[in-house]
Amino acid sequence: MTDITQHTAARPRADFLHRFSVRDAGTLIGLVVILAVFGALVPGFFAERNLINILQQSSINACLALGMTLVIISGGIDLSVGPTAALSAVISASMLVAGVPFPLAIAAGFAIGLACGLLNGVLVAYVGLQPFIVTLGTLSTYRALALIYTGGNPVLGLPAGFRAIFNGSLFGLPLAVVIVAVVALIAWIILKKTPFGEYLLAVGGNEEAAYIAGVPIARTKIAAYMISGLLAALAAQILIGRLGAAEPILGNLWELDAIAAAAIGGASLMGGKGSVVGTILGAVILGSMRNGLTLMNVQSFYQLLATGLIILAAMLIDRVTRGRG
Amino acid sequence: MSPRLQFEGISKEFPAVRALSDVSFSVGAGEIHGLLGENGAGKSTLLRILSGVYRPTAGSVLIDGKPVTLNNPVAARAAGVAMIHQELQQVPRLSVAQNMFLGHPLTRGSIFVARREQERRAAEALAAIDPTIDPAAPLGSLKVAQRQIVEIGRALLDRARIVAMDEPTSSLTPSEFERLAEVIARLARDGVAVVYVSHKLDEVFGICQRATIMRDGVVVGSVDLAQVSEKAVVSMMVGRELAQEQHRSHASAEIRLSVRGLASPTKVHDVSFDLHRGEVLGIAGLVGSGRTELLRLLAGADRASSGAVEIDGKAVKLSSPRDAIAAGIGLVPEERKREGIVPLRSISNNMALASMGVFAPRGVIDHTRLKRVAAEKMKRVNLRPFLLDRPIRLFSGGNQQKAIIGRWLAAGTRILLFDEPTRGIDVGAKAEIYHLIEELAAEGHSVIVVSSELPEVIRLADRVLVMRDGTVAAELGRASLSEQAIAAHAIPQTEIEAGKAQGHRAGA
Repeated sequence: MTDITQHTAARPRADFLHRFSVRDAGTLIGLVVILAVFGALVPGFFAERNLINILQQSSINACLALGMTLVIISGGIDLSVGPTAALSAVISASMLVAGVPFPLAIAAGFAIGLACGLLNGVLVAYVGLQPFIVTLGTLSTYRALALIYTGGNPVLGLPAGFRAIFNGSLFGLPLAVVIVAVVALIAWIILKKTPFGEYLLAVGGNEEAAYIAGVPIARTKIAAYMISGLLAALAAQILIGRLGAAEPILGNLWELDAIAAAAIGGASLMGGKGSVVGTILGAVILGSMRNGLTLMNVQSFYQLLATGLIILAAMLIDRVTRGRG
Repeated sequence: MSPRLQFEGISKEFPAVRALSDVSFSVGAGEIHGLLGENGAGKSTLLRILSGVYRPTAGSVLIDGKPVTLNNPVAARAAGVAMIHQELQQVPRLSVAQNMFLGHPLTRGSIFVARREQERRAAEALAAIDPTIDPAAPLGSLKVAQRQIVEIGRALLDRARIVAMDEPTSSLTPSEFERLAEVIARLARDGVAVVYVSHKLDEVFGICQRATIMRDGVVVGSVDLAQVSEKAVVSMMVGRELAQEQHRSHASAEIRLSVRGLASPTKVHDVSFDLHRGEVLGIAGLVGSGRTELLRLLAGADRASSGAVEIDGKAVKLSSPRDAIAAGIGLVPEERKREGIVPLRSISNNMALASMGVFAPRGVIDHTRLKRVAAEKMKRVNLRPFLLDRPIRLFSGGNQQKAIIGRWLAAGTRILLFDEPTRGIDVGAKAEIYHLIEELAAEGHSVIVVSSELPEVIRLADRVLVMRDGTVAAELGRASLSEQAIAAHAIPQTEIEAGKAQGHRAGA
């Protein structure tokens, strides 16, 4: 017994490699291959500016995908992230335009995100409805609320001071990228280092067994949806900061990109499996592909095609390497 | 005349594993042939070869003396092989007839399914074995025993010449088993060769004429069951003599758990008993007598409608598993896959699941400590192979069970509830689980063991409660403990009056 503990404790490098799973390594290889291909085909693809561009373009999707990953791991899905972001955006934006202080307006946006997630979570965890149907319903509901609230018009003229916050940069990186990196770090810690992360994996992996083992099922699920809502709201703030306006139709189809990034990164829609590192890599894969194809002047139809093929390829590789299951 | 079914030098290699090595034996027409061996002995692999799921690396299968190629399940079916799985592969929402025609619906050349005709033929096939089953009824409305019979009906429908059954009785009551045994005997009289896989030796001795014993992928021997003892067969299976253990009680006078008038809304009525420190209390009774439901009440998994529970003299509320765990109660459930393990997570993580608060006192999991405790507890339960980071799904049933026991040890549980502790666990691991339960009791844990296997109850329990129709029908001390005594209290009086256990409904 003692020699076993010493064995594991004495090998931090092996421990690190162990944490960086085989699946994540696979996603990383995928990213490297895609970068190499575009690097060879597109002059200037590896320019520092373009690489920062890719990160910036991926940041919003990465932000949503992190929340989506936690929800998917818990055995659920959140289709309502786009409309949640829209609702959060128009409410923050109209407060800002009305002259409410920035922190308060941003906090209100976050509160909206949390509330949207709470409703999703309660309907799933306490009422026992299927996550797909619940969030399909709230997808329409939240979108409708955003449209009704604004009368369908964009909220224009956000104060320059607010825009400056999210358009700033830190350590030479756009602030949005830094924010999402911090969020990713927090998500990674949650998943790897906290009981809540373990509960997410257990609830998604086998809810009945988790229940018998004393895992707080409802709280865990609700927390996952609330985090997803909160991150949708954060994405909304980043976006309206960049655009200077909030449209009620903002975030259309965001949920699909977020699910794609999570799935490419190794999350299983059956629940119980997913990786923060993988999801970030997945979001960057999607982002660099769009960036590269745009620089090559490829028609957007083909970009869509490429996205589809990447998702299918990732799933096929998953299948082949994992065997059945 | 050549035998109905013959395995000739079958070998099967997987990457890195040799699952079967030169397996040869034969089963005659009209013979019921037992296939015995511990988990991992190769029985399932052999059945998968017979049913066309796997292809052998070498060797051949002969039916009526002719080699057959069983490349896929359809080919196996066409060759007259019917497979009846342990976990029934049926669709509960479809009707009995639809299930019997699953995969090859009767269309009579049109594009439509001839439902009436399907039901007529299904009824015809079932008439011979269980005329009470309505072919139009949804399969989900049938009891497990009847579903088994539907599977056999399906084999009849396919005019199967060989029927392979994998653990068909793991969830049947004794009288349901008798009914099934009759049906199997009828199959054999019609000239079908039956291959019967079961962990329960008494059943195999009861219905089979011969048996083949496998160990580590090879045939240890084929025996005439009339001429060997159970003990001899067990030592062939395990490869050594299993020591007969004497029961030793560690119960003290101190009452740990006191249950008064406990009831659930449906299945449990007015149950009262005490459990002492260091005591192993057995709970026997037929399936459906409320045993599992009682354990679930105590584990907080279901809510009681009335009654009181005290632990060490203090009243406790058990309205969720969290409550029960906090009070020191842990459940080792019957259906390990469904209620016990989180398959993709490691042994360590599965172990730690019930005591996350302990491992994360400041909100962040102390992985060093978790690994240390996991190593300690898994050593304690003798996990094999000792790979704490390996996903639990890759372990055998017995070792998964050990990890679940370790989970409660890590959580500081003092009252352990076992529901069918050795279901689906092979003979060698069974003995280990028994040892472990005894050691836990000796250390002062209090244990409740629910089991359908009477020898198991008698082996382990200091005292036995016999449940019937949701309540405690009798309490038997060690002195008055016997299979006959338990059975006499477990079976409803009406059934005894009705004579031999015919079509009884105690499971309802």
